Amino acid sequence: MSSSVAGVVSPTRQALRRVRRDRSARFGLVLVVVLIVVAAASPLLVKLSGQDAFTYHIDLLDPVRGNAPRGSFGGVSAEHWFGVEPLTGRDLFSIVVLGLRTSLVIAIVVTLVTTVIGTLLGITAAYVGGWFDAVLSRFLDFLFGFPQLVFMIALGIIVPTSVPRPLLLIGVLSFFGWAGLARLIRAQARSLVTREFVEAARSVGSSGWWVITRELLPNLLGPVLVIATLAIPGYIGAEAALSFLGVGVPPPTPSLGRSISDSIVWVYTGTDPWFMVFPGIALFTAVLGFTLLGDGVRDAFDVRLRRTH
Amino acid sequence: MPGLVWFVIRRLFSALLVMLALSLAVYLVFYAIPTDPALLACGKPCTPDRLEQARHFMQLDQSTMQQYLNFLKGIVAGRSYGEGAAVLHCDAPCFGYSFPLARPVSTLIADRFPVTASIALGAAVLWLVIGVSLGVLAALNRGRLLDRLAVGFALIGVSTPSFLFGLLAILVFGFWLNMVPVNGYVPLTESPVDWAWHLVTPWLVLAVLQASSYIRLTRAQMLEELNLDHITTARAKGAGERRVVVTHGLRGALVPIITLFGLDLGGLLGGAILTEKVFSMQGLGDLLIDSVGNLDVAVVVGVTLFAAFLVILANLVVDIVHGALDPRVSHG
Amino acid sequence: MADPILEVHDLRVTFDTEGGLVPAVDGIDFAVAPGKTLAIVGESGSGKSVSSAAVMGILPSNAEVKGEVLLDGRELVGLPDDELRKIRGNDIALVFQDALSALNPYYTVGWQVAEAYRLHHAVSKKAAFKRAVELLDKVGIPDAARRAKSYPHEFSGGMRQRVVIAMALVNNPRVLIADEPTTALDVTVQAQIMQLLADVQEEFGTALVLISHDLGVVAEVADDVLVMYAGRAAERGTVRDLFYRAAHPYSLGLLGAMPRIDVPPKPRLTTIPGSPPSPGSIKTGCPFQPRCAYTERVGERCITERPELTPRPGEGDHEAACHLGRRPEVVS
Ligand SMILES: Nc1ncnc2c1ncn2[C@@H]1O[C@H](COP(=O)(O)OP(=O)(O)OP(=O)(O)O)[C@@H](O)[C@H]1O
Ligand SMILES: [Mg+2]
Repeated sequence: MSSSVAGVVSPTRQALRRVRRDRSARFGLVLVVVLIVVAAASPLLVKLSGQDAFTYHIDLLDPVRGNAPRGSFGGVSAEHWFGVEPLTGRDLFSIVVLGLRTSLVIAIVVTLVTTVIGTLLGITAAYVGGWFDAVLSRFLDFLFGFPQLVFMIALGIIVPTSVPRPLLLIGVLSFFGWAGLARLIRAQARSLVTREFVEAARSVGSSGWWVITRELLPNLLGPVLVIATLAIPGYIGAEAALSFLGVGVPPPTPSLGRSISDSIVWVYTGTDPWFMVFPGIALFTAVLGFTLLGDGVRDAFDVRLRRTH
Repeated sequence: MPGLVWFVIRRLFSALLVMLALSLAVYLVFYAIPTDPALLACGKPCTPDRLEQARHFMQLDQSTMQQYLNFLKGIVAGRSYGEGAAVLHCDAPCFGYSFPLARPVSTLIADRFPVTASIALGAAVLWLVIGVSLGVLAALNRGRLLDRLAVGFALIGVSTPSFLFGLLAILVFGFWLNMVPVNGYVPLTESPVDWAWHLVTPWLVLAVLQASSYIRLTRAQMLEELNLDHITTARAKGAGERRVVVTHGLRGALVPIITLFGLDLGGLLGGAILTEKVFSMQGLGDLLIDSVGNLDVAVVVGVTLFAAFLVILANLVVDIVHGALDPRVSHG
Repeated sequence: MADPILEVHDLRVTFDTEGGLVPAVDGIDFAVAPGKTLAIVGESGSGKSVSSAAVMGILPSNAEVKGEVLLDGRELVGLPDDELRKIRGNDIALVFQDALSALNPYYTVGWQVAEAYRLHHAVSKKAAFKRAVELLDKVGIPDAARRAKSYPHEFSGGMRQRVVIAMALVNNPRVLIADEPTTALDVTVQAQIMQLLADVQEEFGTALVLISHDLGVVAEVADDVLVMYAGRAAERGTVRDLFYRAAHPYSLGLLGAMPRIDVPPKPRLTTIPGSPPSPGSIKTGCPFQPRCAYTERVGERCITERPELTPRPGEGDHEAACHLGRRPEVVS
C-alpha cells in the first residue's frame, strides 16, 4: 500500500504546515491567541489596571456636556486606559475586556456544543440512513424555515429573568446552530460511506459505533475543524447583535454589543464618539481574527463546503 | 414539466406542514409567558373583574390549544372578538388581531412589508452585482493587486457587524458630511426620489456587507470552477479568456451563488431587523421587536409565520432555479 | 518520411509547485507527418498529458515551457495567446482523456460542438449547430439531430467520447492529439472509436498523436512510437522497431505487460516491478535503473551517467536511451 511509502505525512500535519506558511492565517492565529489570552486573563488585566467594570466615577464626567467624559479620547488617562463610559463614568477598559470575554465564551461554547451535536447527528444520519436520515432531514428543514433571529429576540424578551441570560443565549444559538453543521457533515459523510474502506469495515462485521468513530470521524476531522472555526465569528456576531438589540446579556455584565448600542446617542450628538470606538474595534478584531484563521484552516485542509441540496 | 409541477406541489405541501408545526411551536412558547398580555389592556385601576373581562374579550381565558385552534379557524373562516355592540370582526383570512395596535395582524404586515421589501430588494440588487463582479475580477487576477484589494475589502466586510457599519455610515454621511437623511422612510408611491434618497444609506450599508460574502463565495467558486477539466477543453477549443471565464467558468459558479442569494433575500424580506433598527425604519423587523416588547402575541405569531413563509418560499424558488440552472438536477 | 506537420524539439516543462520545481517533461523530441500516427506510450505520470498540453499551449500558469513546437514549420512556443488561440482547436485539436469531465455539464453537446466551430468560423449560431449535428452524426451518434440537444450526463461513456471527438474534428484540424481516448471504455467501444479515428485520418489526412497505455492498440494503428519514462524518451522508432527490436528494458517490460490474445490470460499481467519515480527525483544516472533487471550487466554507468538516445538497428531512426549496447534478451 502506498501509505507505507517513506516521507508521506499525515493530512493533519500537512495542513498544519500549510497554515504556518499562509501569511494571513498566521496573522489570524496570532490575533486569536492574543484575544483568547486577553479574554482569559481579563479579570487579571482589570485588576492590573486598578479598576473594575462597575464603579461609577461621576467626577470624571462633564455635566455641561450631558455627562460625557472630561478630557480627550473619551477620558483616556493613566488610570482609565480606554477612558470611561459617559453617563456613569465606569472604566471602559474593564468593560471592553470583560465584554470580549463574554463574547468569546459564548461563541466558543456554542461552537463546541453545535459541533459535537451536529457532527454526531450528521454522521449518524449518513451512516444509518433510512428513517433516521429522513426524520433528521425534515427536522433540519424545519429549523431552516425558522426565522431564527426573530425567534431569538422573542425568547430573549419573554423567558423569565430567572434563567441566566448567557445560558439562554448559548441554548438558543446552539439550538439553531447545529443544523447547518449537521447538513454539511452529513453530505461529506455520505460520500465517505460509499467508499471501500467503510464497506470493508462493515463487511468484516464492525459495529456501527466502531465504523463511525474509527473510520468516519477521523476522516471527517478536517471538514469538522474547518466548519467549526468558520462558525465562531458568526456566533460572536450573533451574540453582539442580540445584545445590541437588548435581548442579549443583561446589564451590568459587560457586553460589546450592548456598549455599542448604548453609544449610539453619544456618537450622533458628537459628545463622545470614543465610546463606540473601543468596543467596536474589539468586536471587529475578534470577528476578523477568527475569520482569518478559519479561512486559513479551510485552505489548508482543502475542504470544499458546497451547499448541497 | 409535469415532474416539476409535482415537485412544486409536494414542496408546497411540506411547506404547509412546516408552517403548521412552526405556528404551533410559536404558540406554545409564547403562551408560556409568565406575564399576562391582558394586563396591558386592562386599564387602570386594574380590578380582578376588569382583568377577567379583558382576558375573556381577548379569548385568553381559553386553553392554549383552543386558542391555537381558534387561530387556525380564523385563517379559514375569520373570527370575531367579544359580543354585542363591542364586537370586533377580523375577516378571513384572519391571522389574529393586535389589541395594543387595534388592527388586524394582516393589515399591520401589509403596512410594514413595503418598507422591509424596499430595503431588502434594493440592497439585494446592489450586493449581487458588486459581489459577483468583484468576485470574478478577483478570481481572474488571482494573487495580483486587484485580487488582494477585493479579498481585503471582503474580509473587512465580513468582519464588521452590520449594526456597527450602519452606525458608522450614519455618522459619516449623515452627521459629518450631512449628505443623506439619517432616518425615516418615504413610500415609493409618494415620491420615488425621496424614497430612494432615504434608502441609499441602508442599501449601501447592507449591500457592502453582504457583497463581502458574495465576493468570497464567487471568488472561491470561480477558482474551483476554473480548475476543472472542461475549462481546459474550452481553452483547447480556442476560446478567449473572457469567454472561458464568463461562459464556462461563471456558468458553473452560478448555482451556489444563486442558492445563497435566494436564501439571504428570503431571510431579509421577513424583517431586516438590524438595519431597520439602526436606520429607524418602520419595517417588519421593527414591528416585531415592538410587539415582543408589548407582549403582543398575535403580531409575533403573524410576523414569525410570514417570515417563515418567505424563507420557505425562497428555498422552493432556489430549488426550482437550481433545477433550471443545472441540467443534472431533476425534480422528478 | 514525408515532411512532418508537427515537430517537437527538446520540449521541457517545469511546474513551479509548493514542493519546489517539478520537471514533468525533461527534453523530448517527436514529429508526425500528415496521415500518419505517432503513438506515445508510458506509464502513468510519465508526462504524456503534460506534453500534449504543452503543444497546445494550455498548461496552467505555473508551468514553464521550453523547447520548440513547430506546426508546419511555424514556432508555437512563445507565440502570443491571441495567435495561439487561432491555432488551438482549429489546426491542432485535442481529444481529452476523460470525456465526462472534459465536457461542460451545463451546455448541450450540440452547443459545445457548435461553439468549437463558431470560435473559428464567422457563422450564425444556427449554421454552427447544423455543422455540429453533422459532425455528431459522422462520429456515429444515432439520431444526432435530437441527441445534440442532450446534456453530457445523458450519454454513455462511449457516446461521450464520440462527442469529444466530434468537437475536436469540427474544424478539420491538421493535427489531432488523442489523449487515451479509449481508456475508460469497454473493448468493443474501444475498437469502434479507434476505427472512427482511422477513418477520419484516411479521409482528411489528419496527423494523429495517439497517447495510449494499450500497446495492443498501438501495434494496430501507429506508424511510429515514442516510449516515455519519467518525462524523458526511453526509446523511439517505428512500430515494428518497437515490437520486434525493442532496445530499452523498459519497452520490453511494457511489452511483457501487454495482454495477449494468443496466451490464456493470467490472473495478473506481468508488470514491471516497482513504480515510476516522481519527476525530477532521480538526478543522476538512468531514471529506470532502480527497476531495471540489466543494471548488473552494465554496472556503475547506470547509476552515474544519464543515458542519451543513441541509434539502434532498425528501420530508419530507431533510438534508445540505454547503456546496454545490444538488444537485451528477455529475462523472466
Ligand atoms: N499542474 C501541475 N502541477 C504540478 N505537477 C504537475 C501538474 N500537472 C502534471 N504534473 C506532474 O507531471 C507529471 C506528468 O503528468 P502527466 O499527466 O503528463 O502524466 P501522464 O503520462 O499523462 O499519466 P497518465 O497515464 O496517468 O495520464 C506527473 O508526475 C504530475 O504529477
Ligand atoms: Mg495523462
